Amino acid sequence: MIRPPVKRLVAVFAALALAGCSGGGNGGSGGGENAPPLIIHAVDSGTFQEDFNPYHLEGVNFGTSGMIHETLMYFNKLKPGEITPWLALKHEWSDKGKSVTFTLRQGVKWTDGKPFTADDVAFTFKMLKDNPELNRNALEIADAEALAPDKVRIDFEKTSYAKLFNIAGNSPIVPKHLWEKQKDPVTFTNTKPVGTGPYTLSKFSAQLYELVKNPDYWQPGKPEVPVLRFPAYTANAVQTALQQGEVDWAGAFVPDIQKIYVQGKPEQNKFFFPPEGVVTLLPNLTHPILSKPEVRQAINLAIDRDKIVRVAERGYTKVAHPTGVPMPGGEAYVPPEYKDAAFKMDLAKAKELLKGVDPAELKFTLLVPSPFTDWVNAAQLIREDLAKIGITVDTRGVAFQDWVSKVGKGNYELSIRATAAGPTPYYQMRSMLFGGLAEPVGESATGNYQRWKDAETDRLIEEYAATEDEAEQQKATQGLGKIMVEKLPTLPLFYSPSWSQYRTNKYVGWPSEQDPYAIPSPYTSPDAAVVLLRLKPAAK
Amino acid sequence: MRFLARRLGFYLLTAWAAITLNFLIPRLMPGDPVELLVARMKGNVEPEAIDAMRRAFGISDASLWQQYLDYLGNLARGELGRSITFFPTEVSTVIADSLPWTVGLVGVATLISYLIGTSLGVLMAWRRGTWLDGVLPAATFMHAVPYFWVALALVFVFGVTLQWFPVSRAYGLDVMPGMTGEFAASVLYHAALPAVTIVIASMADRILGMRNVMVTTLGEDYVVMAEAKGLTSRRVMWAYAARNAILPNITSFALSLGFVVGGSVLTEIVFSYPGIGSMLLKGVENEDFPLMQGIFLVISLAVLVANFLADLAYVVLDPRTRQESE
Repeated sequence: MIRPPVKRLVAVFAALALAGCSGGGNGGSGGGENAPPLIIHAVDSGTFQEDFNPYHLEGVNFGTSGMIHETLMYFNKLKPGEITPWLALKHEWSDKGKSVTFTLRQGVKWTDGKPFTADDVAFTFKMLKDNPELNRNALEIADAEALAPDKVRIDFEKTSYAKLFNIAGNSPIVPKHLWEKQKDPVTFTNTKPVGTGPYTLSKFSAQLYELVKNPDYWQPGKPEVPVLRFPAYTANAVQTALQQGEVDWAGAFVPDIQKIYVQGKPEQNKFFFPPEGVVTLLPNLTHPILSKPEVRQAINLAIDRDKIVRVAERGYTKVAHPTGVPMPGGEAYVPPEYKDAAFKMDLAKAKELLKGVDPAELKFTLLVPSPFTDWVNAAQLIREDLAKIGITVDTRGVAFQDWVSKVGKGNYELSIRATAAGPTPYYQMRSMLFGGLAEPVGESATGNYQRWKDAETDRLIEEYAATEDEAEQQKATQGLGKIMVEKLPTLPLFYSPSWSQYRTNKYVGWPSEQDPYAIPSPYTSPDAAVVLLRLKPAAK
Repeated sequence: MRFLARRLGFYLLTAWAAITLNFLIPRLMPGDPVELLVARMKGNVEPEAIDAMRRAFGISDASLWQQYLDYLGNLARGELGRSITFFPTEVSTVIADSLPWTVGLVGVATLISYLIGTSLGVLMAWRRGTWLDGVLPAATFMHAVPYFWVALALVFVFGVTLQWFPVSRAYGLDVMPGMTGEFAASVLYHAALPAVTIVIASMADRILGMRNVMVTTLGEDYVVMAEAKGLTSRRVMWAYAARNAILPNITSFALSLGFVVGGSVLTEIVFSYPGIGSMLLKGVENEDFPLMQGIFLVISLAVLVANFLADLAYVVLDPRTRQESE
C-alpha cells in the first residue's frame, strides 16, 4: 500500500536531478553531457584504497592532486621556466627569500559552495608545518598568515627561492572549514573530498572510481570531458586492456608498442614519451680507480649510446645531452658553448687515456636491478663496449630492494640510475651533484649516489638557491652543466621517458612534441589535470 | 583428553615460533621501505623529507629486541599496525578486504577439486582397465607443468582468443559491489576461469591418493564379503570401499584448507585477482613489514587451525588414535 507513493516520489526526484544535470550542461561550451567518459589508467594497482588525502604518497588515488585539489601555480616541466598562474595570480618574495606573498584568484569556490580564501592556503601550509609527516616537499615553514581574503604570506626558516615549485606547484590546497575538524590529518583519508578542481568524486569501489565534472569550475566552459573513470589494472592486465582498446589514456610501459597498442593506426592510437629525467652510469667515486678523471673519460668515449637506445630502450627515448639536461626545452640552462654538443665514440682516444692505469685494475662490477630488463640489456651492451678498451665489466643483476640499498649506501662500483628532471634542470643537477647529499660509504644517501664532492659545484648550487632572478639561476645551472661535461661526475646515457598512450577517437588536444604544454602521462600531477582541461571532443 | 591437551600445547608453541619468524624474516631483507618508496616515486619526494616519512610510517631505529617486544604487545591487543604500501589503511582492513576473495575463490576451487578428484579416484580404482585409466596421466601432466603455464594457456584460449571469459579482476567494471544478483553473477563469471585452472592443476593429487588407497581397500575381506552378499556394485564401491579409503584424503583436505588462506599467489597474479596473494606480493615488493607480518600471521594461524582440525577429525574417525597410554 505504501509502495506506489514512494516510487512516485523517487521518480519526481529523478526527474529533478535530470533537469538539474541538463541545466548545468547548457552552461558548458560544446561537448556537454553527451560526450563519452574517458577511461584512464594511471598506476598499476590491483585494487584501490579509499584514500583521497593529497599529501599521502602511495595509498592516495590518482587525480586527488590536480583534478580535485589544486595548486597555487602550474609549472610546465617540459618547458622549464613556463609558469602559469592557477589558484594564485602572482607571487612576491620578501625578506631575502624567507617570505613569499601570494595574491589569490577571486571567485573560486569549493565544491560544497563555500568560497576559497587566503585562510585555506594559510591553513594548508600551517598543517604541513605542524605535521612533518605530510611535508613531503621538506618545506621549512615558519609561519603562514592570511593578510586579506585574497592575500597570504608564508614565512620560511631559510631562503627558499629555489623551492617555489615545491611551495606553489606541488602543494595542493585543502579546505580549512572541513580539514580543521580532523584530529589527525596524517591518517585522515578524505573519503569525501571537497576541492576547487575541475572534477569531484562520484563513485568509489575497490576496482573502479569515477570523477565527474565540477559544474561551477572557475575556468568557464571547462572541463569538456564530463566523466573520468579509473579502473584498477595490474601491470599485466593493462597490456591486454590497451590491446583491446578498453583504455583511452594510459601511462604504461608496453614492450612492443606498434603491435600491442598502435595496431596500424598511428593517427588514432598515439603515444608521446618526453623525458622526465636522465639515466646515468654512476661511477662510485670512492673507488680508487673510478675516481680518476681519465678513467671516466675513457669509459665515456667507449659507450655506444645510440645502440643502447636502439636495442635496450627499443628506440622509446633519446640519447641524453652531455650535460644531462632534458632537450628540447632546457636550452636556456645549457652552457652556450655546449649547446650543440653530443656524445661521440672514440676508442683510440679512450685507450690512450688508459695508458697510465694498470690494466689489472680495470675490473668493475656493474650493478643493475634485475626487474628493469631494459637496464639489464643496457648493462650488457656497456660491458661489450668497455671490453673493447680493455676494461672488464662484470654485470650483476640483483633484486630491486637490494639494488636500492647497495646504491644508497655506496656499496657498488658501477651502477645505472635515473634522476628526475624537476621543474628546471637545477633540481636534477642538485640531486645528482650536491655535496650535502653525499653520505659516507655505508650510510644511506638520498641523492648524489656516486659521492661527488666539489666546492665549485656546491657554490653554484647555493648561488641558484640564493636568487629569484631567472637569468642568474640559468647561469648557475649552466655552470653545473659545464662540470657535467668536463668533469664527468656521472655519465649521462639516455633520458628516462615518461610513458603516455592516448587515443584520439574520443578526445583531441593532447600534448605533443610540437605543443608540449604538460607532461602527458596520466600519473603526473597536476599535469594530468592541465591536459584534461585542454581536451575537446573529437569531431564526428 | 590428554591427547588433545598435549596437541594444544604443541600448537601454542608452534604459534609462538611462527609469530617470531614472521617478525624476523621480513627484517632480514636488504633495504628499508622508505628508501624503496623514494626510488619508486622517481623524485616526487624531496630527499630532505625522508626522515619525516619514516616517522609517519612508524619505522623506528629502536633495537630489534625492543621492536620485537612492541610487536608482541601490539599483537596481544589485536593491533596489526598500518600498512606502508596503502598508508594509512590498517593492515587488518587490507586483510579483511582481500581475504574473502581468496577464501571464496581458492576455497571453493579446492572443494571442487577435492570432490571431483576423489570421485574420479574411486571410479578409476573400481573400473581399472577402462578408458578411465587415461585420465590419470592427463591429470598428472597438468599437475606437473608449471601452474602459471596452464593458467596462461587457458587465459589465451578462453579469455583472449575466444573471449568467453573475462581475463582479469574479480567483478566487472560496470557493476557496483553490493547485495545484488547482478554483482553476484559478475563475481561468479569472473571466478570461473581462475577456479578451473586451480581445479585442473591440483586434481591429480586427489585422484592419485584416492585411487591408490581404494585399490588396496578393494582387496580387503569385507569388500569381498559385501560382494558375496550380492550388494549392488554402487553400494559396495561407495559405502564399503570408498568410505574406508577416504581417511587419508580427509587429512590432506583439512591440511589444504589451511593453505587456502595463503591464497594461490600465482592464480591471483595471472588473473589480477584482488586476493590476499596479490596483497602479499605487494607487501614483499615494497618491504611493507606490517603488511607482511599481518598476512604471514593469518596464514600460519590458518595452517595451525587446519592441522588441529585434521587431528580432531582423526580422533573422531579412527579409534586407534584414541587408544594410547591409559
